[in-house]
Amino acid sequence: MATIIETQGLTKQYGDLTALNELDLQIEEGAVFGFIGPNGAGKTTTMRILTTLLRPTSGKAWVAGHSVTDDPRGVRRAIGYMPDFFGVYEDMKVWEYLDFFAACYEIPVNARSGMVDDLLALVDLQHKKEAYVESLSRGMKQRLCLARTLTHDPQVLILDEPASGLDPRARIEIRELLRELKNMGKTIFFSSHILSEVADVCTSIGIVEAGRLVAHGDMTEMKKQLRTHRLIQIRTLGDVTPLQEYLLTRPYIQSINGTADLELPPDTLRIDFSGDDAALSDLLAGLVGQGLPIIAFSEETGDLEDVFLQVTKGIVN
Amino acid sequence: MTESIQPTTKLPRLRMFRDNPVTMKELRSRMRGRRAFVVLTIYLGVMSLLITLIYLAYASSSNQPYGPDPRQAGKVVFAAVVGVEVLLAIFIAPAFTAGAITGEKERQTFDLLRTTLLPANWFVMGKLQSALGYVLLLIVASIPLQSIAFLLGGLSWEELVVSQIIIVIAAVTFAIFGLFCSASLRSTLAASVATFGGAIFFTLGLPVIFLLMTGFLGPLFFTTSTLSWVAEAALAYGAFVLMAFNLPATLIASEVFLLEENTLFFFKQNFGGHQFWFFSPWLLFVVIYLLLARLFYWLTVRRVRRVAKS
Repeated sequence: MATIIETQGLTKQYGDLTALNELDLQIEEGAVFGFIGPNGAGKTTTMRILTTLLRPTSGKAWVAGHSVTDDPRGVRRAIGYMPDFFGVYEDMKVWEYLDFFAACYEIPVNARSGMVDDLLALVDLQHKKEAYVESLSRGMKQRLCLARTLTHDPQVLILDEPASGLDPRARIEIRELLRELKNMGKTIFFSSHILSEVADVCTSIGIVEAGRLVAHGDMTEMKKQLRTHRLIQIRTLGDVTPLQEYLLTRPYIQSINGTADLELPPDTLRIDFSGDDAALSDLLAGLVGQGLPIIAFSEETGDLEDVFLQVTKGIVN
Repeated sequence: MTESIQPTTKLPRLRMFRDNPVTMKELRSRMRGRRAFVVLTIYLGVMSLLITLIYLAYASSSNQPYGPDPRQAGKVVFAAVVGVEVLLAIFIAPAFTAGAITGEKERQTFDLLRTTLLPANWFVMGKLQSALGYVLLLIVASIPLQSIAFLLGGLSWEELVVSQIIIVIAAVTFAIFGLFCSASLRSTLAASVATFGGAIFFTLGLPVIFLLMTGFLGPLFFTTSTLSWVAEAALAYGAFVLMAFNLPATLIASEVFLLEENTLFFFKQNFGGHQFWFFSPWLLFVVIYLLLARLFYWLTVRRVRRVAKS
C-alpha cells in the first residue's frame, strides 16, 4: 500500500505555545486512521494544515503526493474536509447545498443532478431532498456534511470529530457510513476524543498529546502493545485470605486490590495481571487445582480509554 | 479558496460572471420568499410618495397663473429620484456587501469554501454580482419614475445617461469597498461600521475637508493677488480632482457644466490669457472610481486568498 498522507517534522507555534511539535506521520492508502487525543492536543491544528487552511511554522506535509504548502490546489482536489462544526446556509434546500458545493468543485452542471441523488441515497437523506438545511436534525446535518465532502469523489476524507455532539443512534449511523466509505476505497483520517468510537472502525490509530505523537500504528498491534496490563476480578465463597495468599505466589501478578477497595464487594479481589492468555489460563487452572471456592473469574473489559490514559500518563503537565 | 487567482484549469473569464456558483446561491437565497419583493415594493412606494410630495410642494410654491412650469417640475422630480439613487449607491449597495464575507466567517462556512476549488476571485465576484444584482434591480425599477421627468419635459437624455453612469459606478465602487471591509474584519458589525465610515468620509468628509482647506489656505493664495496663472490652473485642476472623489458634488457639477457650458465631455477655461482643457467632472469621477474599485477588488481577493498563519 502506498502512503497517501505524510508529515515530516510538522510544527505549529502560536507565539510561545507549541500546538504541534515535530509530528511525523504516515498513513497508508485505504486506511481508516483514528487521530486520538484530548481537546487541545493538536488534532484540529494538524487537520487544518493538511486541508491547506493553516500554514505550518516548520515541517512538511503531503496529501496524495501534493505538498500542502506548494500545491494547495492539488491537495484540495484530493481531499474532502468536514470540520468539527456544521456551517449552515439559511434559505437553502438540501439538494441546493450539495449542488452548490459540487459547482465549487467544478462538477459540470449536467452531472450534478444525478450525483446529488446518489449522495443523498448514500447518506439516507433522499426523503429530505427538498427540505431546508436548517430544518434538519444534528445527525442529519452531519450526514449531509459528509455527503458534501464526497461531491468531487476525493481520495482522502479528513473528518474532524465527525460524531461529536450526536446522540447514540446518530453516532452509530455515522460509524456505519464510515465503514461504507472504507469499503468504497476511501482513505479516512478522522479525529475523536471518544476512543470507543475509534475502536470499531479504525484500521490504525495515532495518539496525540500536547502536540506530540505519543503512539502510532496498526489498531490490533496497538491494542496488543499497549494493553500489557489486564484487570482480572476473582470472586470466592467466604474469606478471600487463602485466595490472596495463593495469588501472591503466582507470576505476572503486579498487584492485588482486595477488601480495602470500597468499589469491590468483600468476597472479590481484583488483580493487575501482566501475562498473556496462556498465563491467565494457567492461573485459573491453578486456582481450581488448589481447591479454592472460585465462583467468578472474569477480565474487566478495559477499553481504549485505559490504553489512552496509560499512553498519555505523565505527558500532560 | 485557491492560491492563484488564475485557476489551473484556465476557466474562461466569462464563466466567472456567467456560471459563478456563489452568485447563483446568493441570488437564489435573496430572491426566495417574499422579502425581496416586499423591499422592492416598499422602495418604489416610498419613491412614488416622495416624488408626489415634491411635485405638490413645488406646484404650491410656484406663483405661475397656469400652474407650475412643467420643465422646472420635471427637473425637480428628476433631482429627487437621483437623490434617492445616490443614497442607494452610497449606503444600500455597501450594506449588502459589508456582511458578505464576515457572514461566511460567522456561519463557519468560509473554511468549507476555502477547501474547495473555487478561486478567490470567483468567490469575491460572486458576492459582488449578487449584491449589485439586487441594487441594480432597484435602480432599474425606478426608471419608470424617472420617466415622469421626461413626460414633464426639461430633461435631456444626456442628463439621464450621465447620472445613471455615475450612480452605477458609485454603487459598484462602494459595494467593492464594503467587500474589502468584510474580507479584512472578523465581524459583520465591525465591517458595517468601517464601510459606512468610509462611505460617509467620501460623501461628507471630503467636502468638509475641502471647505476647511479653502477657509485656511484660500486667504494665503487669493488675498495677495500674486497668484500666477500656472498656480491658478493647478488649483483649479486640484479642485476638480477633489470634487471628482465626491458623488453628490460630481452630479451637481456635471449638471451645471452640462447646462452652463453646454458640454458633455470637455470645456475650456482661461487662466491669464492661457486656455486649459478640463474634463467634465463625471469623466474624472468615472476614471477615479473605476481605479478605486479595481484597487479594492484586488485587495479583497488578496485577503480572501491568504492562508491563515494563526
